[in-house]
Order: sequence, then structure tokens, then C-alpha cells
Amino acid sequence: MHPDTTGSWTPVALSADLPAGTVIPARIPAGSIALWRSESGRPAASANRCPHRGMSLSHGFVRGEALSCIYHGWSYAQAGNCLRIPAHPGLTPPQAIRVKTYPVEETGGVIWVAMGEPSANPPKFEGFVALRSLMAEAGIAAIEAAAGAKASPAGLVEPAESTGTICLLLSAQEDRQTLLHVLLKGEAGTAARIAASRAAESLRRKAEDLQKKGIAQ
Amino acid sequence: MKLYDYILSPSCYKVRLMAALTGVKLELRPVDFHPGAEHRGPELLALNPAGSIPILEDGDLLLTESSAILVYLAAHAAPEWLASNKPEEAARVQQWLSFSGRLTASLGCARLHEMLLRPGDIGALQAQGIAALRELEAGLVEQAERGMRFLAADRPTVADIACFPYVALAPDGGVSLDPYPAIRLWSRAVRALDAFIEMPGIHRLHELKPEPHIELGKA
Amino acid sequence: MTMQAMIDEWYPVGLFSQLDAAGRGTALMGEPIVVASDADGNAKVTGGNGRVLPVCVRYGHVWSSLGAPKKALFSIPEADQTGRRFVDVGVVRVRCSPLRAVENFLDVAHFPFVHTDILGAEPHTEVQNYKVEIREDVDEVWATQVKFYQPLAAKSASGGITTEYMYRVPAPTCSVLYKTCPPRPSEWDVITLFVQPLAEDLCDVWPWMALFDDTTSLTDLIHFQQTIFLQDRSILENQIPRLLPLDPGLEIPTRADLTSVAYRRWLKRHNYTYGAQLVAQ
Repeated sequence: MHPDTTGSWTPVALSADLPAGTVIPARIPAGSIALWRSESGRPAASANRCPHRGMSLSHGFVRGEALSCIYHGWSYAQAGNCLRIPAHPGLTPPQAIRVKTYPVEETGGVIWVAMGEPSANPPKFEGFVALRSLMAEAGIAAIEAAAGAKASPAGLVEPAESTGTICLLLSAQEDRQTLLHVLLKGEAGTAARIAASRAAESLRRKAEDLQKKGIAQ
Repeated sequence: MKLYDYILSPSCYKVRLMAALTGVKLELRPVDFHPGAEHRGPELLALNPAGSIPILEDGDLLLTESSAILVYLAAHAAPEWLASNKPEEAARVQQWLSFSGRLTASLGCARLHEMLLRPGDIGALQAQGIAALRELEAGLVEQAERGMRFLAADRPTVADIACFPYVALAPDGGVSLDPYPAIRLWSRAVRALDAFIEMPGIHRLHELKPEPHIELGKA
Repeated sequence: MTMQAMIDEWYPVGLFSQLDAAGRGTALMGEPIVVASDADGNAKVTGGNGRVLPVCVRYGHVWSSLGAPKKALFSIPEADQTGRRFVDVGVVRVRCSPLRAVENFLDVAHFPFVHTDILGAEPHTEVQNYKVEIREDVDEVWATQVKFYQPLAAKSASGGITTEYMYRVPAPTCSVLYKTCPPRPSEWDVITLFVQPLAEDLCDVWPWMALFDDTTSLTDLIHFQQTIFLQDRSILENQIPRLLPLDPGLEIPTRADLTSVAYRRWLKRHNYTYGAQLVAQ
């Protein structure tokens, strides 16, 4: 289906944005996923669709080590098997009821999700700390143009004119949107981190401007 | 205190939520906003010529701006929801109270258009709503860097209650909240407050209650 | 998608009480229409090319059709019963298939999670067996003896009760619910969901009620029903796919879903597939 991306890792969110006991929506080349962290702290990723009635699972809720659908409360283990159907409390859900799951890894404050069986670990960016993620209405080319630098094969862009502290980890989304994870080189104080966040906003404005003007394809 | 209220109005919900969080008892007077347009009828126009709700009546005090009503409830029952005397905090509360008006004018109008078929330029309203959400997201990121979980302080204030409803209900107007991790964390912190109440469109956080024990075969 | 089988059906297109001479522009199955009142105050519905469409006025609403209805609008005998209050709840637009809106209305298992502390609450999540049939004589889907524990079943209920429901689908985008009536145990409250298909994935929903309740204000009755429906709306806008899948395989029903299974079978049998997805994509 996606031969170029099968087995490869997508940076979907920052660890700090997924506290224990929560679920959030995210996107990998295979489509929308429900990314969640159990109460004990283990992250998991599944297709963002409950097989019962098609409800988006990222609207659901996490109790203990299970993700439940908001519509009818069907709950799923991290392995994807259905654990409970509240309408039939006595029923052990058949093994056939399950959601597709994807491998998840966390490194350097970034959560990575793979399609298929990954052959290697996700990239590690030594010496970087994660600041925030933001969505840009711009393609990767526009962001590279705004940053004045090309993305590395791992998706990392080091803007030429920046203060020399921020890096952007890019993840292409649907409809020419790009998710930017802002990484800082080394630890920084509050003021420097706030300045870096504002620098990322400026870069996004510039990239979206370029995208609108059609300078970048 | 009597609140002229509409169950689906996020502005009215601000007042109900503030009252619940601060333990104020309100007498609710339901207004047939939709489909009856009672807010444009003579009785309510006499109270508020602007034809909007909420309206709060307390003795001869008549308030028609939701931010003012929030301040009144907090001053009345729970002053810790107001700004302290730190200049920065006081300014931040005012900053976000004013900002909340832009949420109403963008996300609020988009919601009325998409849900209750009110007129409006939906593309423009949604674009303004997204711009406002981005500002809120950036503001919350910076607050988190300052070690503060809420808009003006490390405790919730009237500013959070003024902004929360239209933000939480943005998807009703076709504006996705998916791209905003800081808003998601903040929204969750608001929803997890003791005595928090929902309105239609904002679901219960079922995870706050442990999974119930199921008694099998019980009638 | 095929429109043909559903084109001759009646659909709600507006509240009779809100008709005016200027008219209101809306749509029916993709065609722009105008709903207005004529010089005598009668409802008049005009199609895209100015052609006059069939009209009837019933249950507080104006009904119309792009085709030529072969039979009169389905009957709700309770609409003529004295002592009932008839409540126009008003329109709510939902970005979903009109068939998904009806199917959700036929479901009780979501009450504890979506209508928490009103129509349901954990741990009372079990759906007991009930009866479902397609009544061949009237060609309607019926579910009876549906029982569910409800913390606040109606505006007229004072506490938790086990409520009994009967569901009826007399037309592809309309459902009638008969529900335990707290003040009058021998009667049923009637709550309907009339759905106007604007497009295959967009609808205007017009709930309407015929209740025995002499004490609750009209506004409170409207707000109760709007609360319930707006809780459903965010679910309906987040189901994937937007269209209702009629082929088995894409979604998994259980015993609690027998009404929906019968509804889907009935839709398929009649080729009522506007808003449906036939082949998994």
C-alpha cells in the first residue's frame, strides 16, 4: 500500500503531550490513528476506528491498561483485542473483534509509530530536547524554503537563520499539511524556550506565506 | 441570582460552569432561543436590548456580558478565581477575557451556522477561529514553560472559564481541535476540576471514574 | 448510490409554524428547494428548476418529495390523541448520513456513555434481549420490549427508572419512539426523529414529540430533547465512513444491535441506499 513507508517510523507527537491515561488523534501514512498511554505509562497506537460502529477511538477514554470507545464503551487492550462489550457484561468478546495496532517507540521525548514491522529503531537525535509540536498549512518544500535548509533523510531541518537553537522534525500530513516538532539543541532556560517557540511560529508564518504564494510546490 | 439560560449556548454555559465550580446556586430561567427566538421577543429585549443571552439578574443588578457575569460570580463566592494583585496576572486575566470575545465571534458563529443554520460566511468564520486557536495554543505553550497550567496562573481563573466553552465546542462549527496539543492538555485540566459540569457536545471524562463492577445478569 | 427507490418518499423540509412568504432555501437529496407559504398560508415547496413539488403538512412539519409519493405519509395515531402536548424541537444540522442519524436513534447501548446520568449510567450498561421484526403488513421495522435503566428518563421523571421503549421505522429517514410515560403508566410518550437528507453525508434533523406532561414548560421539554440530540451529534460527525455501510464485514453488530441489523436489512431490501455504502472501500 505504501511501499516507501512500510516499516519506517513516523514522529507522531511529543511524549509530554501524551500524559498517562489519555488518548489523542495522530496520523501516519496508513491513516488516522488513536495514540494512547495507559495508566502505567505504556504508549500504544491503533487504527482510529472502533470496528463496532466506526466511531473514532481518539474520542474515547483510557482506564487502566485499556482504551474504550466513547460511543458504546467497547474497550481494547494494547495488543488490539477487544476486552469488554458493556452491553453484554457476561460475554467474553470473540478474538476476531480487534483493532489494528502499530509498533510505538519513544526516544528523546518524541513518540514514533511504525507501519508494518520496522527493521531498525527510530532515529535518535542526540543532544536535542523537545519543545512543542505545531501544524503548518504548508508542504515540506515550503518549510524548507522558509527555513533555508533541506530536511535530512530522517526529516530533520536545521534553519539557517535561526538563533542556532531550534531544529524542526517534519512529518507530512494530508492535504499539504506538515506537523512540525520543534527540538532545541541542549537544555535552555524559560526565556530561551519561549523565544524558540515564537521563532517556530514565525517560521510557520513564513512557510505558509510561501505556500500560499505558490513559490514552493 | 437568576440566569436567563439556553442549554446549547456556550456563553450561558460559562455562567452555569462558573456557578458550579464556585458553589453558587442559580435560578435558571430557560429561554427558547431555538426554534422560538425568545431572546428577540419583547420580554427579553426589555432586559437586554442587544437581544443576547446570558442575562443575569440579581436584585436590581442586570448583567448581559458573560465575562462580567463570571467576574461577579467569582467576586461574590470565590475570589481566588479572580486575578491576584500581581500586575502580570491581572493583565493576563484581562487579556484572555477580551480575547474570549473573539472566540465567540469566530468559533461561536461558525457553530451557529453549522448547527442551527444561522447566516454567516462560514469560510471566514472558521479561518478566524483557527487563528484564535493558534494564539491560544501559543499562549498555553508559553504558560506551560512558565510552569503554569492555566491561562493566567497556575490555578484556574475566570479567564479559563471565559475561553473554555467555545474552544471545546469548536468541532461543532467544523473546526478541528486535533492540531493543538497544549489546548488539549488545558481542556483536560479544566474538565478534571472538581465540580466541573458538562454541556451537550462536551462528553463526560469517563476515565475519571474507575471501571464499574458489573453485576452479571442483574435485571 | 441510487436515489431512485428513495426519491418517491416524503421528507421533512421545515416547521409549519415558521413558514413565511419569502421562503427558506434548503435542499433535498442534493437539489436546492424553497419552502414558503403561498397567499392563502398554505405550504409551497419549489424545486431547483422552479417546478412545484408535492406537499403535505403533518406533525408540525412541512413534508415534500422530489418524486411522486405512492402513498400518504405514515400515520402516527397518537398525533390525534387529546391531552398530548406537541413539541416542535427545531432543526439541527449534522454532517453525517441521514441513515446514520436514524440508526443512532434506534440504539440504546450508547446511553451510559453518551447521555451519561440522563438516559443511562454505568454500571447499568447491559442491553437485555428484545424483540425485532419487519412487519410485512405495514412494511415497517419494529423493535419492542426494549428495556433500559435510566437515571433521568424524561423531564417528567423524578429519579431512576427502568424505561421501556418501542421503536418503529416507517420510512427510510424517519423513526418513531414510544417510551414509558412517567406520569401516565398506561400510555406511551412519542418522540420522533424526522431526518431531511440534504446530501448523502449531510442532513437536517427535525425531532418532534407528542407527550403527556402537564407540568413541564414547553421550553424545558425542547431543551431536554435538544440536549439529548446534541450529545449524539458529536458522535455522528465522527463515524467512519460517513455513509452507512450496508454490507456486513465493515462493522460488527452484537445482540444489542438487532434493531440496527433489521433496519439495514430493510433498507437493503428496498434499495433505500441514498446515504449508504454498499461495498466496503
